[in-house]
Amino acid sequence: MRSARPTHHDAARRRLLRSLVAAVAAIGLATPAMAEGPWQRLDAARNVLGDAEPATQGLVLDLPHVSEDGASVALSVGFDGELADDDYISRIDLFATANPSPEIATFHLTPLSGKPEIATRVRLNETQQVIAIATSHQGERFATAREVRITVSGCLMRNGSDQPEPLSNPRVSVPTRFSPGQPEAVRTLINHPMETGLREGADGEIVPRHIIERFTVSLNGETAFEAELHQSISASPYLLFYLSPEESGEAVFEWQDDSGNSARHEAAIETS
Amino acid sequence: MSHTELVVWSAVLIGLCFGATGQATGFCLMRGLANSWTLGDNRKLRSFVLAMAVALLGSQALAAAGLVSLQDSLYANPAPSWLAIPLGGALFGYGMTLANGCGARALVLLGSGNLRSFVVLTCLGLAAYMALSGVLATPRIWLEGMTTLALPAHDLPEAIGAPAWLVALILGSALLAWVFSSATFRTSPRDWLGGLIIGILIPAGWYATGVLGHDDFEPVRLASLTFIAPIGESLQYLMLSTGTRLGFGVSVVGGVFVGALAMALLRRDFTLRAFDGPRQMLRSMAGGTLMGIGGVMALGCSIGQGLSGMSTLALTAFAALAGIVVGARLGIVGPLALSKN
Repeated sequence: MRSARPTHHDAARRRLLRSLVAAVAAIGLATPAMAEGPWQRLDAARNVLGDAEPATQGLVLDLPHVSEDGASVALSVGFDGELADDDYISRIDLFATANPSPEIATFHLTPLSGKPEIATRVRLNETQQVIAIATSHQGERFATAREVRITVSGCLMRNGSDQPEPLSNPRVSVPTRFSPGQPEAVRTLINHPMETGLREGADGEIVPRHIIERFTVSLNGETAFEAELHQSISASPYLLFYLSPEESGEAVFEWQDDSGNSARHEAAIETS
Repeated sequence: MSHTELVVWSAVLIGLCFGATGQATGFCLMRGLANSWTLGDNRKLRSFVLAMAVALLGSQALAAAGLVSLQDSLYANPAPSWLAIPLGGALFGYGMTLANGCGARALVLLGSGNLRSFVVLTCLGLAAYMALSGVLATPRIWLEGMTTLALPAHDLPEAIGAPAWLVALILGSALLAWVFSSATFRTSPRDWLGGLIIGILIPAGWYATGVLGHDDFEPVRLASLTFIAPIGESLQYLMLSTGTRLGFGVSVVGGVFVGALAMALLRRDFTLRAFDGPRQMLRSMAGGTLMGIGGVMALGCSIGQGLSGMSTLALTAFAALAGIVVGARLGIVGPLALSKN
């Protein structure tokens, strides 16, 4: 039977309780400051952000939880947030925090892109966070990150089978007919080893770096979509993006690699 | 329906056929070898060889028609490990005798209510992924790296310099001739129908992944029936489905289980069975584990290399199947045979 008077033990218990509450409050107040995203800890990402504090809602990064083949991980980035009426997403940057070289790609979008959604396949060296940063035309910034668990290293390719000719066989799937104001998906693929410059060949020598650096899509001569690619894009780069042409004409797709060679594909499009 | 969805549905259909057939006919390489060596009854063995012959002829017909390129399959590895493949096969074969059937058989038995197979499958899946990408992966990769052998060819036709369709025709015919040379086999529709149906499912798998799964931008990986990695993948899928996509292998595994369950219920052959005691449970656990590790080293199991791999005439398939038979022999009549108790 407990006595009615407060005992020495009760006083000690109250003191302990007060300290605990204070500690939890301190952690709670400190948490916003610690809830910075992984983009604050990556130099390359901070360079893109500058001093801006990005919004963490709106940008969506879709990656598998676990990937057994780090050489080709399907990635898709999209935006479902709010923007001002005359604003649009003009740039999306992708980073792999633990790859030898963190920049994956930078995509430049225009009003002719229509929808800020891009899909590709990337190389991830090991389990890590993938970061996406979107910048709007008026300077709004959005960021998000996803962790991917990788069970096989991606940057050191393992196959020795016949490699197709670099920049050969461009495949483009673009609708021939567009409705104005209705962006449609375009898919592109082209053969290229995307040599990272880190891989040892059969003879024991490092295979030199050889990648596609730039992919440009122009509609009737005006640049609609542009991608700067780095070595963390998987071999035979696959890109899905949106186009929303305003008038009929010609779409030109061009790939340029770091040895000065390029490939080109043209398609006629109709806007009705 | 996208091409990936088409592949998944085809895989489910193929799995359902496999499971139902396996349940109704008792198709099993382990049983076939055991019966041949201990009872002199080789009907089940002929059933497996029939499946092999049908798979070979069907798959090579697809290849000859230019529909699939079997040299792109996993089995046609031009630089395999001369140690891991036959050794893995032997581990798998021995494990198969401990577990009373291979991975595919365990799925069928589970569908019939045999809870012992749940233990086998769980150990198989765990061990397979331990060897593929887990705690045993580094030693496995090291071993394979130390024992790599650059083969002069991917497969048998390339090695002997003959056209694939001719080699398939000769080999397939020879196997068929042997299979049907026994009157007791000919008069056992349970066995030759089982072998025939299961055999047809192999080229069906190549067709599903290689033709239905073809896409310029996101091709599905060429594969046919195999039950090592897919069983491990299925365990993973059950746990991570919100972050991974269904593939061919996992869909086949699901189909086999459901198909076997449906057939067991239809035939009123569903009975819950468990272990007699701890020793039997240990045997099943060991069997499943050896199958998982051996299967990964050998690039496939009794179905994966024995049927799918052999249908491509890949050189690794011959080595793996030889290893499996040796391992099984050790466990059935050889020095490592454990008494049934």
